[in-house]
Amino acid sequence: MTLAAATRDAAAALVAARGVPHRRVEEWKYSDLRAALGEPGLGTETAQWSVDAPDGVERFDLSQPNPPAWVADHFGRDGGNVMSAASLAFASGGVALRAPAGAAIGRPLRLDFAGAGHVRALLVVEAGAALTLLEGVGVADFRNAGLEIVLGEGASLEHVRVSPEAGDAVLVEEAFVRLARGARYRAHFASFGSKLSRMELAITLAGADAQAHLSGVSVLDGKRHSDVTTHLIHAVGDTVSSQRFKHVAGGQSRAIYQGKVTVAQGANGSDSNQSAKALLLGETAEADLKPELEIFADDVKCAHGAAVGDLDAESLFYLRARGIPEAEARGLLLQAFLEDAVAEIADTDQRELVRVELLTALKRLA
Amino acid sequence: MLDIKNLHVAVDGKEILKGLTLRIEPGQVHAIMGPNGSGKSTLSYVLAGRAGYDITEGSITYNGEDLVALAPEARAAKGVFLAMQYPVEIPGVTTMTFLKTALNSQRRQRGEPDLDAVGVLKLVRAKARTLNVTEEMLKRALNVGFSGGEKKRLEILQMALFEPKLTILDETDSGLDIDALRLVAEGVNTLRSPERAMLVITHYQRLLDYIVPDRIHVLAKGRIVAEGGKELALELEARGYDHLVKDVA
Repeated sequence: MTLAAATRDAAAALVAARGVPHRRVEEWKYSDLRAALGEPGLGTETAQWSVDAPDGVERFDLSQPNPPAWVADHFGRDGGNVMSAASLAFASGGVALRAPAGAAIGRPLRLDFAGAGHVRALLVVEAGAALTLLEGVGVADFRNAGLEIVLGEGASLEHVRVSPEAGDAVLVEEAFVRLARGARYRAHFASFGSKLSRMELAITLAGADAQAHLSGVSVLDGKRHSDVTTHLIHAVGDTVSSQRFKHVAGGQSRAIYQGKVTVAQGANGSDSNQSAKALLLGETAEADLKPELEIFADDVKCAHGAAVGDLDAESLFYLRARGIPEAEARGLLLQAFLEDAVAEIADTDQRELVRVELLTALKRLA
Repeated sequence: MLDIKNLHVAVDGKEILKGLTLRIEPGQVHAIMGPNGSGKSTLSYVLAGRAGYDITEGSITYNGEDLVALAPEARAAKGVFLAMQYPVEIPGVTTMTFLKTALNSQRRQRGEPDLDAVGVLKLVRAKARTLNVTEEMLKRALNVGFSGGEKKRLEILQMALFEPKLTILDETDSGLDIDALRLVAEGVNTLRSPERAMLVITHYQRLLDYIVPDRIHVLAKGRIVAEGGKELALELEARGYDHLVKDVA
């Protein structure tokens, strides 16, 4: 048996019916994929991946026959989204990874996507297991990655993804994350933008006491584009989610955050917090921040906010009046602006790494 | 050291300072007193180089140099320090990082080598102790969650650290209780020396009990309307500003 041929056929049919997303599709309003790809379109190539797995993590190559039950049970359950359908339909390979029940994996799992085309990955963190996932984004003309993450009861995953500055690349990824009771998902997305760069997340808190905490930063220059689109679903009550995204956009760049939080009927006791802020350096940079709430339950705590602004003139004067030259003072304030989102990264090494990358990008901007 | 001649300053097209003349020699402490809206804070901001203050007439000379032509950071490096009435809160920058960056920025502009982290820490700790600035405050984000008194003490700590030649204290006494006021005044007095000068801007005479000025100027409606020795402060305390202000056109 190869992986669900019927699922793939259905996915291909969905792609054929909807075509490449473009700006008149509401969710793609700020990221016109059709225009960015032009004539060649989505293609049917398969992109590459590589894994550096610590001891204790099992893997299965998705191009191989006879998948084990833990793959067959969870693979390809993310239907409905046209780009994830495309990776499902066209990618003839990919990787499935598993942290078995109860395993506390000390060393991080490293997963890299590379090259052009479509690719899939599945990560199953079983009940009570704990893992850190470091995701690398290789530069390519066009890549579409579909990532599925399944967290069992009480499982815990820290996910850090750094998307490098990649001028002409069109990089799209859809992640589907499902959390069982008591599971924890912490994710940080650092992005330095490309011609079109989009990270889309659909996260379902499917068990009580499940928590998802998302954060992200982007520093964009030139004509870079970076889009983070999230959909957080509180399917049951007593679940917690938080989102904190910060963007700095210079040149003619464009920073996008679209975040939808859905609290399902009866999901009382849901607690959700959403914050997105952008600093625009100059007249030609753009930020589109769109937090959205959809609440079908009565007893919930939901907060959201978005703000676009410039550096605070008073703070800048204060620093300069104490002897800090203007460019340096601006850099310090930009760093400070991003800091609370960076501070959300629990892993010390990764936090430092992201800080260093941000510093380099901010220096380019100054 | 500081020579202000016939200074006219407009903010948003409205003239705030209308021909102010003031000269401060090294070693002197001058006080500027005056009612609200007289232009006291405008004067302090103009000296520090804040944007949005248009000098329409007159000149400011600092140690023989045109102060107006210098960027705020260059003024700081050359020894001008303004202790602000409302120190700015900057989340995301720790106080210690800020102090180190500021100190080394000033040194670099003067062609002096950077102090390493340990050197800065030692220096800051020594000065912080006398001003009752705790280690915990130094670790917090700059001025964030600081009480009014803590903010003012941190301003004075910076003054002690940078050892400026010309210090301008803008309403440093506001929001301070008597103990904090004493602490701040001691910090200021420690720095008094024949080669340094100070300009103390205040609404009340209280601070001048602790920082005794050589000369007092009364500012009203953008002009100096009265001048005298330290006894002038007592007179103002007793009689108020009205009798001076009403004579100004």
